[in-house]
Amino acid sequence: MIRWAARVFGCALICLLMQRSAPAQSSAAYKAPHNGYGQPDLQGVWEARNTAAGSLEAHTASLGIRAGRSVIVDPADGKIPYQPSALAKRDDNDKHRAQADPLNKCYSPGVPRMMYLPFPLQIFQTPGYVAITSEFAHTTRIVYLERKSHYADAEFWMGDSRGHWDGDTLVVDVADFNAQTWLDASGDYHSEGLRVVERFTRTAPDVLTYEATITDPKVYTKPWTIRMPLYLDRSPDAQIFEYECAAYLPPPKVDEVKP
Amino acid sequence: MRKWNYLLVLAAAAGGFLVSVSPVPGQGGARNAKGKDAPKAGPVKRLRDGKPDIQGFWETRNFFSAFDLEAHDKATFEVPAGKGVVVDPPDGKIPYQAWALKKKEELVNSHLADDPQAHCFLSGVPRQMYTPFGFQIMQPAGNITLLFEAFHAFRVIHLDGKPHPDENIRLFEGDSRGHWEGDTLVVDVANQNDRTWFDMAGNFHSEDIHVVERYTPVDSNTIKYEAAITDPKVFTRPWKIAFELGRNLEADYENLEYACVEGEQDLQHYTESQGGAKKDK
Repeated sequence: MIRWAARVFGCALICLLMQRSAPAQSSAAYKAPHNGYGQPDLQGVWEARNTAAGSLEAHTASLGIRAGRSVIVDPADGKIPYQPSALAKRDDNDKHRAQADPLNKCYSPGVPRMMYLPFPLQIFQTPGYVAITSEFAHTTRIVYLERKSHYADAEFWMGDSRGHWDGDTLVVDVADFNAQTWLDASGDYHSEGLRVVERFTRTAPDVLTYEATITDPKVYTKPWTIRMPLYLDRSPDAQIFEYECAAYLPPPKVDEVKP
Repeated sequence: MRKWNYLLVLAAAAGGFLVSVSPVPGQGGARNAKGKDAPKAGPVKRLRDGKPDIQGFWETRNFFSAFDLEAHDKATFEVPAGKGVVVDPPDGKIPYQAWALKKKEELVNSHLADDPQAHCFLSGVPRQMYTPFGFQIMQPAGNITLLFEAFHAFRVIHLDGKPHPDENIRLFEGDSRGHWEGDTLVVDVANQNDRTWFDMAGNFHSEDIHVVERYTPVDSNTIKYEAAITDPKVFTRPWKIAFELGRNLEADYENLEYACVEGEQDLQHYTESQGGAKKDK
């Protein structure tokens, strides 16, 4: 009993410490460069170098997916805290992923999935706006810094992003999602009750630490958090090109288009 | 979210909602939904480095270029009548080579369903600039970013003076390199592919297309836009379009989501003779 308690409380404490100390993990002395408007400068071409696009949880390799560790930092077991019925649905999604994954139809990836696809992102900044664009299917998010309230009655594939600066961290509150997107290629999903709070912090010269806390009371038993480094493309000609996904799909046969 | 359905646009045009938006050049005041007086245009705003500040939300003031760049005095099923925007040659016609004119006519007559926008593909330049629903201009350090509501397309106009990438890299939206000539932003657009059209009237180009755009702000609410188009495979000479972009003056305006691939239904509206699906009688 004491041992059990020690393990639980020990974990809770360590998890808490991990979370608190995370943004400074790389170097406590590191100070983010600032742009001409006094904001931390997040501009550039960034890319995740992990296997979260395949699965957020620890996973073995399968067709098109490399094996990889979990990017879930809370809960400490690295697993998404699904409600039991939701876990069954996730497993069913996974079984049928070739047909069921919305990304295979070139649909918008949603948030946070856009952030760790194997396609680069570019971030643009002005005083009132941060735009995040992806090479995948010209996916675009505009983070509005000046208006705080979400739309009262709206659903978007990419949600509605409202941001503010918390010291040197960009905090983005994303709401108004539909229930159509997945979180990775392994069937991990959410409902339209999804809410994502993201934190972007430069923690080393080439690293933008990305953290997202995911809440959805219809699907999960509690909020959970992913964290990963995004790496800056330092090549002198860094730019994002185009992966115009829908144009590479086989064209629809006209007779299959229902009148 | 705001899905542009061709038929809806047509219905609106027929109902006169959009026909009444015939702006007076140079007056400023683009979208003025409820008939209120729009704020008067002032002088061009400036960034700290003295360059024109053209940030904000903009929209073409010539709605009909989306349907046909040439003047089109008789409405057909998909293409309503409207003024053209071709300013050179002076007859307002795109200077096609003979074979290319034949191909354009064939596209109009039997392949309108091949319009790349009907398949949710990126629009290319210049078509992106007069596709309805407007766009946001950002001027962050190092580039000018254009974020379009339609198809959630974006263009990055690089200002670092570097050359276009290798010509083997072909892009729907091309590669844009810009510089300021006085108050005019001059943008050289190369690396486009041959999969985009100019409008809904079958006007087309090859992958040799080269576009030079000129954006000249004339007051705080107006940008003169001009695009010179060269494509020796398809046209007999370079030609030019020109129209005005007006600032969107609606308070608290934001780009909303335009999900196209996810809910595509345009193809259903084409007739069989246009290359659309067979319809049950």
